[in-house]
Amino acid sequence: MKAFFLSLLLFTATAQASQALIEFQSPEQQALFKELTQELRCPKCQNQNIADSNAVVAVDMRNKTLELVQQGQDKEQVLEYMKSRYGDFVHYQPPLNKFTLILWLLPALMAFGLVLVLLLRRKAERNAVAMESGDKAQPQQQLEQQLDQLIEQYRRKS
Amino acid sequence: MRKLAFFIPFVLFIGLSVFLFSGLFSDPMERESSVLNKPLPAFTLPDLQQPDNLWTAEKLKGKPYLLNVWGTWCVTCNAELAYLTELREQGVMIVGLYYQQPSDAAFGEVFNLAALQQEVALKLEQQGDPYQWNILDKDRTLIFDLGVTGAPETFLIDAKGIIRYHHIGDINPQVWQQKLAAAYQSLEE
Repeated sequence: MKAFFLSLLLFTATAQASQALIEFQSPEQQALFKELTQELRCPKCQNQNIADSNAVVAVDMRNKTLELVQQGQDKEQVLEYMKSRYGDFVHYQPPLNKFTLILWLLPALMAFGLVLVLLLRRKAERNAVAMESGDKAQPQQQLEQQLDQLIEQYRRKS
Repeated sequence: MRKLAFFIPFVLFIGLSVFLFSGLFSDPMERESSVLNKPLPAFTLPDLQQPDNLWTAEKLKGKPYLLNVWGTWCVTCNAELAYLTELREQGVMIVGLYYQQPSDAAFGEVFNLAALQQEVALKLEQQGDPYQWNILDKDRTLIFDLGVTGAPETFLIDAKGIIRYHHIGDINPQVWQQKLAAAYQSLEE
């Protein structure tokens, strides 16, 4: 059993060692490559970025990203290169256009609706309190009047 | 007003249900291709069986055709070969774009053209040969420029070299009738 776990350990060690090391000309390029591979989405797999996926197309995109970054292209240029081939789908940050407008509008609309509901509810509550105190005041006075009348009646009788 | 407020959660629930229900039948792989109505990207790639013969986008102009991305490693491509062969017999021009998977050096794989040629010839002999010829994209450069995510994928290209349709997945009688036949025939005229 022990040998089995040891061999597992060995296996992971060799698996890690087989990943190629990439050398960058500058730390900025390394950061850009990391950022891009995390923001670009693998078009074959559903919902994995290309840093995370080993699908053939993801590996190709990673290599292309590296090539473009090493050529000195900036983030926008690389994104444009990918989008012109694989569409807006390939970037996790969707652009603002008529199809995606709802993504920006919906939260605002929901916040607006929430505020509206709260305001209406508060107003209704205030009305209810006012009505309740009004309702109570009225019979109290009437009852007292009736009581006074009764006392008056009994006084006269006696 | 009270009654209206009572119906709001119900309406929201119905809306959400319809949205989620329609999601059950939508295809997550289906999306607008960004190469549509654009010319075939420039390339220079060898013929699979006659590597000395180089194909370019320019050479392919003149007649509408299907550009079928495939590979012997791809099971679905294998399955569509027979129907594509039928289409060829009906007079549809089909050019193969051979999708070569990367050889994994860690497993001692080396690209071997002669072996690949033999494998492809054997496969086409067994399953039917729909292709006028095959273009070998060893490093998947044209495939990358076309926004291909896997195999099989098929492009309908007109006589001027403009991409008119991009189909992801196999071509079977149903797909051909519903999606490609009309477009192809309109290009033929």
